[in-house]
Amino acid sequence: MPESESDSYALTVSGLHKRFGSLEVLKGVSLLAREGDVISILGSSGSGKSTLLRCINLLETPDEGVVTVAGETILMRKTRDGRSAPADRRQVDRIRSELGMVFQNFNLWSHMTILDNLIEAPIHVQKRPRAECVEEARALLDKVGIGDKANFYPTHLSGGQQQRAAIARALAMRPKVMLFDEPTSALDPELVGEVLRVMRSLADEGRTMLIVTHEMGFARDVSDRIIFLHQGLVEDEGPPAELFSNSKSERFRQFIANERT
Amino acid sequence: MDLAFIWTTFLRLIAALQVTLSVWALSVFFGAFIAAGVTWMRGSGIKPAEWIARAYIFVFRGAPLLVQLFVVYYGLSSFPLVRASVFWPFLRDAFNCATLSCALCTAAYQSEIFRGALAGVPHGQVEAARACGMSGFLLFRRVIFPIALRQALPAYSTEVISMVKATALVSLVTLWDVMSVALKIRNDTLVTYTPLLIAGAIYFVVNYLIARAFIFIEQWLSPHLRARSA
Amino acid sequence: MTALGFGERGWGPALLYGAVMTVLVSIAGLAIGAALGSLVAWAKLSGVRIAAAIGGGYAAIFRGLPELLVVYFVYFGSSATLTGLDHLLGGEGFLGVPGFAAGALAVGVISGSYQAEVFRGAFLAIAKGELEAARAVGMGRWLMFRRIIGPQVLRFALPGLGNLWQVALKDSSLISVTGLAELMRTSQVAAGSTHQPFTFYVAGGALYLAITSISDRVFEFAEARATRGMRREAH
Repeated sequence: MPESESDSYALTVSGLHKRFGSLEVLKGVSLLAREGDVISILGSSGSGKSTLLRCINLLETPDEGVVTVAGETILMRKTRDGRSAPADRRQVDRIRSELGMVFQNFNLWSHMTILDNLIEAPIHVQKRPRAECVEEARALLDKVGIGDKANFYPTHLSGGQQQRAAIARALAMRPKVMLFDEPTSALDPELVGEVLRVMRSLADEGRTMLIVTHEMGFARDVSDRIIFLHQGLVEDEGPPAELFSNSKSERFRQFIANERT
Repeated sequence: MDLAFIWTTFLRLIAALQVTLSVWALSVFFGAFIAAGVTWMRGSGIKPAEWIARAYIFVFRGAPLLVQLFVVYYGLSSFPLVRASVFWPFLRDAFNCATLSCALCTAAYQSEIFRGALAGVPHGQVEAARACGMSGFLLFRRVIFPIALRQALPAYSTEVISMVKATALVSLVTLWDVMSVALKIRNDTLVTYTPLLIAGAIYFVVNYLIARAFIFIEQWLSPHLRARSA
Repeated sequence: MTALGFGERGWGPALLYGAVMTVLVSIAGLAIGAALGSLVAWAKLSGVRIAAAIGGGYAAIFRGLPELLVVYFVYFGSSATLTGLDHLLGGEGFLGVPGFAAGALAVGVISGSYQAEVFRGAFLAIAKGELEAARAVGMGRWLMFRRIIGPQVLRFALPGLGNLWQVALKDSSLISVTGLAELMRTSQVAAGSTHQPFTFYVAGGALYLAITSISDRVFEFAEARATRGMRREAH
């Protein structure tokens, strides 16, 4: 029996506000993700989708709102000049280690081999034994299809391979929720497919995933739910079948019409 | 072509190399620590510390090293207060003064190199580390420092070599380094070119070796930048 | 701390005169360096292997030698050569090359080895398309150099040159060993004469810093003017 409502959710976000200077990018966004949910976040540039994702793992600090990961709420406080800040840095680090993030620009550590990239955080942040981390890392690399590239450096890999390595790196942390920030936007078109294939297999496995993307087809086929953001607010959300055929939001219909061209 | 003279000159200059290299090594080494402190102050966000760091860099990079040397060696010793202080046993020695002054000077240049290298660490890779839960010293030790170190190497090697050349100035504050021995030989024998040429050759070879050493270190630390030999 | 100011009744004017001398000899050095540097850059860009090798050799040598050594070498060496020539012609005694000339030459020879790289990089930075367009319009080589290459090289070289100017200023303090009455030497003489080394070396240092600051402004202004109309990279 869940103790509180948020216990049954892998991730809850409520009332997120974020300002950059005088520009309010998020004006009160909420979402709920149950375990195994695959949620795609769509919207045009400036809608706040990336900011939403980055507020979840506190790469951006929300000005207002509550984020709860696997039942644990991130504690916030107000600084002397009235701004928001995390109350407990160690909690932030711990929660980040339970969230796996995949970036648009991969952000693999250039001075380490692919294998080292994968075992770095498990060893140094999660303090797991090295042998276990290496074994798991190799298995993950095989799973995403670059098992033979373990001792290569990121610069020697193609974009698609690097992004798959980045996904494997996130998986190596055994995350509860995976966050994808436009994972294919920086890739050449021919390389997009291999990354989407990996993401699809993760979804099929039942992972909880939040994906900010422009890949309409993928979003429609793979997601359990779609959230459409417009100018910092949730304009519409629901299962893809419903939304794509029958959205009550004129803007969303306009949006998919534009993306198609 | 007085080979005997060339040979004795060479030997005397090599003997003096010890002084040159001592001043050089100690000033670069201690300068690095001072520079780390200055860089930290510059980026600390604490206004007074930032201001002091910037003033330090401005003064020690803007004024000629010769002026700095003279201020420390001739200037400080002219104060009765200094002579009576606990620092005097240290400061009355020319070697100490010269090394201190050189260290302070190179620290300003090294600090700017550190600052540039840190700024050049790709922000995305730092974010990825944070997103994994890394922070504080762990983040610095495993991600920021290794990348910044590799970025700093070329500029750092230039500065290290500059310091070898700068040590020639200590000949003007009574130290018997290669430069001053070469001048003494010239003054004693009135032979101009030979001692200066041999001294030049010695400096040149030392600098060349240091440059090669840095290239080796750079290559050793950067397998990720070389073409894959697959 | 003595209350002795070094104002008008003291060494003030002499120090300022020294500062002017420092600026002049540095300008002279930079100019010589520019001449040598562009020559070496041209040699390296020309594709003629011997020229490139000589240019490269010159640069490598002077970057590996202490500046003080070069100053002594140029000063004593040129004086020795001059005296030798004089003796050949029947003179006696010692002929010294003026400190200004020797100093400027020494600074210039060192600066040139670095300026070569600045000019070479600046030339390579000029978009090939612009040169092709000039050729397509029928510009002759001299005209092209005067109107397209020259101005563009200067524009791209300014930051590097600004830096090398600061270096030349500091190197010029070494010319004091020749006895030239530039700022460093004047400070030294004043310090010795008044037995107040700290005051006068600090004052000298402060004047160097002042020259540096003013130079910074001048170069900022020059760079702003030179790059007006140039497209800024999108951030």
